[in-house]
Amino acid sequence: MNLLAAHTADGDGPVRGGVPRAPRARRHAHERQRRGRLGEGNLTGLGHLLMFMLRRDRLWLPIWVLSLSALTAYFANAIALVMDGGSLQALTVLAKNPVMALITGPGYGLDEVTVPRFIVGMYGVFLMLGAALMSILTVSRHTRAEEETGRAELIRAGVTGRHTQLIAALILTVLMNVLLSCGMAAAFQFSRAEPDPLFSTMLFAISTGTVGCVFAAVTAVTAQLSAFARAASSMAGAVLGLSFVLRGIGDMSDVSEGDLAWLSWLSPLGWSQQTAAFTLDRWWPLLYSVALFVLLVIAALLLQSRRDLGAGIVAERLGRAHASSMLSSPLGLALRLQSTNLAWWSASMLIMGGVFGSFTGAMDKSANAMPPEIIAVMGGRAGIVDGYLGYMALYFAIIVAAYAVIAAGGLRAEETVFHTEPVLATAVSRSGWLASWAAVTLFGTAGLMFMAGLGEGLGAAVSMDDRSLLWPTVLGHLAQTPALWALLGFAYLLYGLAPRLLSLSWVVFATSAVLALFGQLLELDDVVLDLSLFTHIGQYPAQDLSAEAIVWFVVTAAVLVGVGMIAFRRRDLVTA
Amino acid sequence: MSTLTRIRPEGRGANASVAISMRDVVKSYGRARALDGLDLEVARGEVHGFLGPNGAGKSTTIRILLGILRHNAGTVRLLGEDPWAKAVPLHRRLAYVPGDVELWPGLTGGEAIDLFARLRGGVDRRRRDEFIEAFDLDPRKKGRTYSKGNRQKVALISALASDVELLLLDEPTAGLDPLMEAVFQDCIREAKDAGRTVLLSSHILAQVEALADRVSIIRSGRIVETGTLSELRHLSRTTITVGLEHDVPALSEMAGVHDLVREGSRLHFSADTAQLPQIMRVLGEHDVESLTATPPTLEQLLLRHYGKEE
Repeated sequence: MNLLAAHTADGDGPVRGGVPRAPRARRHAHERQRRGRLGEGNLTGLGHLLMFMLRRDRLWLPIWVLSLSALTAYFANAIALVMDGGSLQALTVLAKNPVMALITGPGYGLDEVTVPRFIVGMYGVFLMLGAALMSILTVSRHTRAEEETGRAELIRAGVTGRHTQLIAALILTVLMNVLLSCGMAAAFQFSRAEPDPLFSTMLFAISTGTVGCVFAAVTAVTAQLSAFARAASSMAGAVLGLSFVLRGIGDMSDVSEGDLAWLSWLSPLGWSQQTAAFTLDRWWPLLYSVALFVLLVIAALLLQSRRDLGAGIVAERLGRAHASSMLSSPLGLALRLQSTNLAWWSASMLIMGGVFGSFTGAMDKSANAMPPEIIAVMGGRAGIVDGYLGYMALYFAIIVAAYAVIAAGGLRAEETVFHTEPVLATAVSRSGWLASWAAVTLFGTAGLMFMAGLGEGLGAAVSMDDRSLLWPTVLGHLAQTPALWALLGFAYLLYGLAPRLLSLSWVVFATSAVLALFGQLLELDDVVLDLSLFTHIGQYPAQDLSAEAIVWFVVTAAVLVGVGMIAFRRRDLVTA
Repeated sequence: MSTLTRIRPEGRGANASVAISMRDVVKSYGRARALDGLDLEVARGEVHGFLGPNGAGKSTTIRILLGILRHNAGTVRLLGEDPWAKAVPLHRRLAYVPGDVELWPGLTGGEAIDLFARLRGGVDRRRRDEFIEAFDLDPRKKGRTYSKGNRQKVALISALASDVELLLLDEPTAGLDPLMEAVFQDCIREAKDAGRTVLLSSHILAQVEALADRVSIIRSGRIVETGTLSELRHLSRTTITVGLEHDVPALSEMAGVHDLVREGSRLHFSADTAQLPQIMRVLGEHDVESLTATPPTLEQLLLRHYGKEE
């Protein structure tokens, strides 16, 4: 009753006997919009919301900042510890290779290399990628993900403005990048790398944080485009990928004295690398970053003013109305659900293999100047090419093992989000479902090892100008697959018996990887080394392949998957 | 329960008329008992309403019938078979709609409908397209873009378009609007006419009253009432108001009369429906000015069982 009275007194209610007028509140809103989209009401509640986001991120924020700072400390201390002047100079030969420039950057100051210059040149880009990912995920999480789940509606129904959530998320992310810059600068300055002067350390750290800020603004725009947080993050990720490739081609061209070096100046990653800390020490490239940041934020706000809450600017594409004939068996479903991932991994393995393979020539040339510890790991000075290719087979086996554990975890994820229940409520048996999923991952790991080997072999053949390197390399990579199958078998055994313990397969993965990669350096006993899955098959072509080990792994994998299938038939499904 | 005609599951011949038979079924999670001696019988060709408060064990019961959960004690027969051991062959003969349908984000609704129906043993394309039209679903949208109601439609269409003997529906219309509710009721009547058995777990009483031949009410893992709606009404109390100037001492002593109060010139009480004839005879000897009798609604029946008393 009071409300009604207040409305009438205000003139907002229907006017008796007169011509109905637009309610005053609505007229005000129109006026406000006409006056400017960033009017006072658009940011109401900013402080509260920012505090709320900080509270939500009380773990997320320190984890990102501390882990990237710790990574900086690790790079700085490890390089300073391992490298002396001579070996650093030798690695620089490797670093000045055009393929290396494609990955790491323009390599300023590598002619007169120092430890800080080496770290900035070789590892800086990875820290920048880390900062960019941190920003993309944080902004997407606080903007589009909130809208997608409907929580943003609750917030906007309260006393908050149209742009409050976006601006608060941006402030939060910029704050994270400031903290990251401070953390990195401290970690670097107090490391054994002993960088000097402090000004250069600050420049490097701030350049990294700046990349993070630019990608926060990129995500602020992509979050307006699609109605889904995943798509928003993916689009921002694609922009990051494009920036990486642009500056990669530019830097490669720069090192090999081509005429595409200007491409690096089209990339936010490029601008931050062009500050050339410890060499040229210039601030001005960051002005481009600041300008882009401002433009992107304005674009995001304009886009947000033009759309409804929860809606995207890019419409979701429609799909097929009927399922293809592939989608009519559990195997078809398992393949469909894993195919996107497998395709991305296959492409990545091929490209990574190609890149690493193309180092073979440089590796061969610089072998004489390399530190003896690294030469020993690669199989000694004499067979450096075979040693390197065999070692890369191990390296890729470890990467693909991570894929295997993730893919096996996908089966459990299907169950916990209740996708498995309706499938098993049809005429699909439990063992049939597990076997279908397992078949895709087992063949998938073999396929990925093949792709890695193919890339590696092609790269090696081209860089050494020796075609006979191709097939032995492919065989050496593919031969590692049974070890991965045994790991998959263990994962499916756990899935059938006790799905909560599935993460134990990460322990097996990590132990095997650490022992295989560092066991020899640490001069561990053979008995301990044998605990690793990756020390039995042999690093072909440098070492012989062990047929015995291959057979054992295949049999073990089959038994483990079989027991897993029986166990899965006996347990309750996870239900809501 | 005594009013039921029990269908004895002994012998193959008798089996043919029973779709679901659960005897003394127990399911425990650690020390908590989800089902505590549950008895449930559903005859072939009937629509059986399955009612109960949240957490009473409705979904657990249905998942045991699906062989997704294993019961700890008691016997379960679904279409004459053990649902745990014979899950796969049984699933060719039934379709299930969960209360919370989760779809794969990257698969369209049409693909999910086809997939579920094919995994069950085949899809009748004409019926599928009819149902898609009846339920007004766009099958080309991706799973992640559907609202809860639309996800529910996907599972419903896939189940209804499959040629099966039994439908297990666990709150199938949660999230559907009243228009779609009407379409759903038509579809269930059609399924019944085609001779299918339906176990319909639901919170919507009007839906159960409109569709169910018989009803079972579950509470704390036990069936507390089973029967046709009229049988259940018979078991419970009718609310009676009598306009009468003077008291009737005989009433307060009669069995079957409860909560007798006087309010001005009116007497209010509730009567066991079974005792109504006797009560009427007693009242007939007095000068009754007015009389209203209200039969129990399903809601009252339920509230009686959902409440904490007993």
